[in-house]
Amino acid sequence: MNDQIAAALAAEEAAIYAYGVLGVKLAGKAEVDAARAAQLEHRERRDWLVTKIAESSAAPPAAPAGYRLPFPVVDRATAVQLAVKVEDGVAQAWRPVLGVTRDADRTTALAAMTDAAVRACRWRRLASITPLTMPFPGKAE
Amino acid sequence: MVLTGAVLNSDTGHTRRRMLGAGLAALTLGGCGVLDDDPQPPSTPDPLQPLADEALALAAAYDRTAASLPALATRLTPLAQDHRAHAAELAQVTGRTPAASISAPASAAAAGGSATDPATAVAALRAAEQTAAKNAVTACATTTAERAGLVGSIAACRATHVEALR
Repeated sequence: MNDQIAAALAAEEAAIYAYGVLGVKLAGKAEVDAARAAQLEHRERRDWLVTKIAESSAAPPAAPAGYRLPFPVVDRATAVQLAVKVEDGVAQAWRPVLGVTRDADRTTALAAMTDAAVRACRWRRLASITPLTMPFPGKAE
Repeated sequence: MVLTGAVLNSDTGHTRRRMLGAGLAALTLGGCGVLDDDPQPPSTPDPLQPLADEALALAAAYDRTAASLPALATRLTPLAQDHRAHAAELAQVTGRTPAASISAPASAAAAGGSATDPATAVAALRAAEQTAAKNAVTACATTTAERAGLVGSIAACRATHVEALR
């Protein structure tokens, strides 16, 4: 198992946790549904990574017992901000995977990174953050 | 008879001039190769050149639309800037200076041409971004490990543009 795959898995686990926290602070069905759908997609990506690690017959890294959020999620505004941060972080975790994968696996990694970037764009629009896009999603700032 | 003779003469003259010109060109090229210390860029284009050309074509399409529909400018300008950043980064990676005008993909070049209705213009740009995103995904799948991150980010960015134009 390589470090890049492990880092992507850690980011996906953190995203699943974060959506659980922020989902309850969102307002309106559309936002709640979007958060639920996002969490489901992160679970699917997590499962794919776990399978890849199993295929390489490496032991999967243990998920941390808890997470410390970058800021307290107290209302809808901070919930959406956390969603933006989580998706940007997931995109950043997947980018290095592109360089250590080929063919179908690389395409899957790119889809995971792209989906995270697109969700970040959607949350930015909901939080009225401009610009909506960044030139190099996944590239650490 | 006179006419035929004149044509024949003119033809021969042309051929000689051409041959002379070709000889000079060969000499010049030869001289260049001898004097130039830097290795000449290979004649085959870099595999990422189409991606760079497409980025500049898209940036130009945004500029044209923003110019004809100023109300869209604040929305479109950051997207054009993203594409210029891509072109600059790709130029660094490929070692080529970006050339705006060459071989721009038809979809990107046509988008945002002369639309007078904002909805139509945005839809055209969105369609161009969809095609461009697919092209970047294909480029990412076949590029080297070192370039995969950059090309992947470009693909992801183009996908966010599709979302931003929704």
